[in-house]
Amino acid sequence: MAGRVIVITSGKGGVGKTTTSANIGTALAKNGHSVVLVDTDIGLRNLDLLLGLENRIVYTLVDVVEERCKLKQALVKDKKNPNLCLLAAAQTRDKSSVSAEQLKKITEKLKKDYEFILVDCPAGIEQGFQTAISGASEAIVVTTPEMSAVRDADRIIGLLEAAEGIESYKLLINRVRPNMIKSNDMMSVEDVENILSCEKIGVIPEDTGIITSTNRGEPIVNNEKSLAGRAYINVARRINGEDVPFLDLDEPKGFMGKIKKFFSGMNKQGKEQ
Amino acid sequence: MEQFEENLYTVDLSGINSAPEIIFELSSILDNEEARNKRICLKLGNVDLNQAQLLSIKSLVNCIESTLSSIDTKSVETEKVALSLGIIVSNVSAENSVEVTPEMTYKTAEEFKEALDCKKNPEENIEEQEPAIKEQIEQEQEQEQESEPEQNETIETEQPVEEQANEEILTAEPDKSSEQKEVFDELDVIFSSSPAQNTFMEMEASQSAYEEREALTDIVVPEQEYTKEDIELESFPTKYIKQTIRSGQVINYEGNVVIIGDCHPGCEITAFGDITVWGVLGGIAHAGAGGNQKARVRALKMNAIQLRIANCYSRRPDSLETIFTEKTNSFTPEEARIVNNEIVVFKIND
Repeated sequence: MAGRVIVITSGKGGVGKTTTSANIGTALAKNGHSVVLVDTDIGLRNLDLLLGLENRIVYTLVDVVEERCKLKQALVKDKKNPNLCLLAAAQTRDKSSVSAEQLKKITEKLKKDYEFILVDCPAGIEQGFQTAISGASEAIVVTTPEMSAVRDADRIIGLLEAAEGIESYKLLINRVRPNMIKSNDMMSVEDVENILSCEKIGVIPEDTGIITSTNRGEPIVNNEKSLAGRAYINVARRINGEDVPFLDLDEPKGFMGKIKKFFSGMNKQGKEQ
Repeated sequence: MEQFEENLYTVDLSGINSAPEIIFELSSILDNEEARNKRICLKLGNVDLNQAQLLSIKSLVNCIESTLSSIDTKSVETEKVALSLGIIVSNVSAENSVEVTPEMTYKTAEEFKEALDCKKNPEENIEEQEPAIKEQIEQEQEQEQESEPEQNETIETEQPVEEQANEEILTAEPDKSSEQKEVFDELDVIFSSSPAQNTFMEMEASQSAYEEREALTDIVVPEQEYTKEDIELESFPTKYIKQTIRSGQVINYEGNVVIIGDCHPGCEITAFGDITVWGVLGGIAHAGAGGNQKARVRALKMNAIQLRIANCYSRRPDSLETIFTEKTNSFTPEEARIVNNEIVVFKIND
């Protein structure tokens, strides 16, 4: 089996790399694929927390690199989904403890047994980033519709294009607020796409449920009511090659909202006619 | 004493009756090349020395790269001061007509040397002595079986093999162990001291033991569960840390660790002995990392992500709701230890 190694990166911190990794990984595993999540944010690991696996980590990526354990020993199985594994980062070390070649070796090994290897990249463009992208052939660039995040994403795309091995990269726009876009307070998804001139793979709406899911250690894709969760599931399907239409983020809440939308749609249709 | 120990240098000042004279005499004697790099045994007469005087003598000896190993005095005052300074005192000569230096209380001078080394490297020594302990413990058990009806006898009678001179220190040591055992598990089982345990305890307890030696003979210590691991734990040095341990910080110590403060999730504490946290323990704690199964982890609030003791491992239950905002006002002190190869956390109610 030749698995796909996908790095999830952003440049700017706090845009949702780790959340994206956890949710896409869980969604892919739910669809029956075998997935390994690799946390390369050594010293500031969070992926384990989002998956609720914090208390199961015995060996980490650094232990594998320094040959204190075998690779299989360090893979932590998810509580619910046996298809999903986590290779956690060490909390007590720093980025310099794993080199690009070492991570590449590990991803090459994982490729043989797993369909998807998702690498959660640390923020920044320094050594940690260079290490994280070393083994990957695809990249997902996470950004938010803010100028600072878009600028950083642009820089990252430049670096990804220059890097060897990265064959394709896609854009994931996170924390989109349809209301603010409507009132012209936020860049629209299309604006971001135009600025970065990069194809998008998903649009995730802002969702307060993300905060609760992070704190509980349960990815939001497990909550089928959540719009963000459904958006992540769609991203996972697109990664897998399916052609899934983008969600209508204007989806109103509640019964009254639905009626309103129904009537407004009627009006529009009437005007068009 | 030179016949026992070539490194020992005895200075006899018992004839001199004033402190300044002693210091003067001592300084002239210590000019001698022979006294360098030796362990000095000082014989004093009836002179009462105060702390300052004794300290100056001690530093004088240290000046010529020797150590003041023991003092032989007839004065009660001097003895008290010396004990407070941690100097071994022998006033056997006051009781017996025979002059005995403290080295006699050990079987041989070699053994004393071992004990000194042991202070520096307790673990190494334990490893070296392991086979010997087993033998001695076996012997002891046999002895115990034989002398079961006489268990309440004093410890001296249980050790007829030992030399008389040994008794002083030997009888002294079980006292310390008894104190610690009482703290540990308040068992009332009778403990008959074995030579092996004594030689261990000596290293840690020799000074305090002297002060309380009279009270010792009646003390009985539980023997059950008192293994070489307990001894190892007691002989470990202890690191005392007064700060909050934050995520990513690592504490590694080949001994016991006491932390006054919280240990946040993401930190790692590894100790060869016990880990005691006076605060909330939230990270990973590994006690008995050298393989000591008797090591324990204690905390005012046990919230550890993982607990490891020796080769056992346990993790925080998933069901445990960790309220991240709560900075806890109510503490329930808990202690984790190994029971039947599993880590069990006990509430400390008393």
